[in-house]
Amino acid sequence: MQLATGGLSPSVLGRLRAAACVLLASGAPAIAHADAGATTKVDASLLVYGEQNRAKVTEPTARLTRLFPDGQTLSAQLGIDVITGASPTGALPSGVDSVGPPQTYTTPSGNVVTVPPPPPDRIPLSPFKDTRVALDGSWFRPLGLLTSTIGGNFSREKDYQSLGGNAKVSLDLMHRLTTLTLGAGLNHDSVFPVGGTPVGLSAGGLPLSRAHDPKQVVSGMAGLSRILTRRWMMAVSGTRMREQGYLTEPYKVLSILDPATGHSVGQLTEKRPSTRNRTDVLGSSVYHLTRDLVYVSYRYYWDDWSVRSHTLDLKYRHALPGEAYLEPHVRFYSQTAASFFRSGLVQGDPIPEYATSDDRLGSLRTGTIGATVGFRVPEYPGEWTVRAEYIGQFGNRHPGDVVGVQRQYDLFPTLNIGTLVVGYSITF
Amino acid sequence: MRRTAGRLACAALLLGLLALSAGCAANAVKPWDRDLLAEPQMRYAPNPMLNAVDDHVYFSKEGSTGGMDVDGGGCGCN
Amino acid sequence: MSEPLRAVDAPDPAEPAMSRAGDHFVGRFTAMASPCEVLVDTDDPAEAEVLVHLAEREAHRIEQKFSRYRTDNVVHRINSSGGRAIRLDDETARMLDYAAACYEMSGGMFDVTSGALRRVWKFDGGDRVPSDSAVEEVLRHVGWSRVTWQDAVLTLPEGMEIDLGGLGKEYAVDRAAALIAAQSTCAFLVNFGGDLFAGGARRGNRFWVVGVDDPERSGRAAVYRIQLARGGLATSGDARRFVLWQGKRLGHILDPRTGWPVEDAPRSVTVLGPTCMEAGTLSTLGYLQGPGARAFLEAQGVQFWIL
Repeated sequence: MQLATGGLSPSVLGRLRAAACVLLASGAPAIAHADAGATTKVDASLLVYGEQNRAKVTEPTARLTRLFPDGQTLSAQLGIDVITGASPTGALPSGVDSVGPPQTYTTPSGNVVTVPPPPPDRIPLSPFKDTRVALDGSWFRPLGLLTSTIGGNFSREKDYQSLGGNAKVSLDLMHRLTTLTLGAGLNHDSVFPVGGTPVGLSAGGLPLSRAHDPKQVVSGMAGLSRILTRRWMMAVSGTRMREQGYLTEPYKVLSILDPATGHSVGQLTEKRPSTRNRTDVLGSSVYHLTRDLVYVSYRYYWDDWSVRSHTLDLKYRHALPGEAYLEPHVRFYSQTAASFFRSGLVQGDPIPEYATSDDRLGSLRTGTIGATVGFRVPEYPGEWTVRAEYIGQFGNRHPGDVVGVQRQYDLFPTLNIGTLVVGYSITF
Repeated sequence: MRRTAGRLACAALLLGLLALSAGCAANAVKPWDRDLLAEPQMRYAPNPMLNAVDDHVYFSKEGSTGGMDVDGGGCGCN
Repeated sequence: MSEPLRAVDAPDPAEPAMSRAGDHFVGRFTAMASPCEVLVDTDDPAEAEVLVHLAEREAHRIEQKFSRYRTDNVVHRINSSGGRAIRLDDETARMLDYAAACYEMSGGMFDVTSGALRRVWKFDGGDRVPSDSAVEEVLRHVGWSRVTWQDAVLTLPEGMEIDLGGLGKEYAVDRAAALIAAQSTCAFLVNFGGDLFAGGARRGNRFWVVGVDDPERSGRAAVYRIQLARGGLATSGDARRFVLWQGKRLGHILDPRTGWPVEDAPRSVTVLGPTCMEAGTLSTLGYLQGPGARAFLEAQGVQFWIL
């Protein structure tokens, strides 16, 4: 004589909590969340990233977090990045000319490789292979209305090392409806390219020294988050970053073009200023519908190299039965070129103080579309996350600052990227 | 031109901050209305692991820096 | 409905019994017909004793006020009101508001008027079950929807009764915990008959360790051990009070909509919540789902253990 178990509203918990709150308003040691002594959390993920005809990356990471009864956490993460493939050198297509295509290439992998010469009308790519190891740790400490996070990071690859620390403090105000956050970070990096650091804007002659070139980054951020209604919270934050030191890409070059034909007749190493002041402003919003959530964020960025960018990110988390969810995602990004960005230099023109052909400092737009699925396997512990995304990067195919035959070539072929991330998280 | 854009953005940030901090005590969210806010997906970054992957991917393909966090190290890109 | 609030037949020791267990003190007493203990993480025996007394007095106050076995409290006044309207005090009113909210959000499964079903069900391990007509007859006196409850005034129809046994112990745990927390910064754990609240990590940033009782070897083995710093734990189960019928074990928690116990109910359901009240209500609701207990509790997103 058992009634069917249907008819019980799926989320009784919220209303129950509210009712208990009123009953015990006269006195209950109010705690926001009860947790039965999970002491350890493990998060593992694997990223598989592939650019069409270019770089491929495989990146496994694992994070171990220790949880303490008073809410403190201590965590450490290890990530390994294996990058193979090819990336543009910054040079322009060689065009057909008397000098002829190169017979061999120098690469940052430290090997001498002989690859088939690229077609004269295509952007030259340089193959490379590198493994980067990154370690970071953080200590999170809640102290009543204040919470602090202190972290350190270290990473190393063949030609680059980074060491840094950061700290963040959050203060809850107005019955925890408003949170103020302040943070600061300091990073000390050093660059030691294979074969030494070339002199900037030179024909790549012997390097001045084989010393490690340092780069210092100091950053600070301030943010304010506010709960607006039962369903809606918003935050605004600003970050300011100052980089100082060796900021040039040691392997990137600019082509020198023959003014009459536009053929590439030589190249120079690139050179960037030794300081960079960067600022960004970010607004985020989370809105809870009946079961689903909407996440929107917008970021405006600018720096003293004249790069300005807009980023708009939208996610919609659709709740599925059994604590699973499907979250489609789109991201739009657009950036203006750095003031010293040049597609190429024309022979005979004065050489500028700074110049780069690196597409990442050029004018470009990126569009991302993808979806994430989160789920648990019944009877087994832990949560799974699987995300597949397409990223397309588009730039100026026919920039105005090239001459001759270059005007016919596609100088920014659309870059198609596919990514797949699989993650697993377990608490015990 | 670029300095005006920078100043405009600063002004927008301050305006944003003021709008958010304008303490509307009248519609303050009562304790018994915090059911949804307590859910784990009610955060700006409900999936920090994916966010970290993204930060790395976009940092190496674009010229801008990340958003809310000052942590994370450098790499030989950007 | 958990253990009833019952005036004790046997004489009670007047003072709680204090003892030391490793690095903390334990005070024991009996209240609401259950063994009660209060653990205090301190080296100061005087402080421990003060806090245990605080909890013990509050437990007895609530027992005195809400027990349905007494003839000198508000519950007796309500149950012998003969259908007349009664104005209730603030604390009782809030209890009934909570009961009303539970009734509504559980679709009628949680009902403080279901005590009348005791008239036809006797959970003594035997195999007698009431006839359908007997159950039908008693169901005419069950159902919160028949009650008029407005502005602290309650009108209970003749023949119906209010039983706060399903709420009283958890409420007492939370109230005792609040009083201890207001009085001292020591970590403590209040356990009234298996419904408990832990208030803070022990010194040395260590968890309290709570065992989930093994229904087969009750009191002698723990199936799970839960590590807890702050929060309420409550267990609903049939371990000691059941009826064997046609080879099935029917627990003593009755579904007020049918008048019958839940079939295929789990042996025990333990839920963790930020208060003992919430943990207790959810564990009862979970238990009443029978085979659907796991799915229900997973949907609520709370931590639970089902045996």
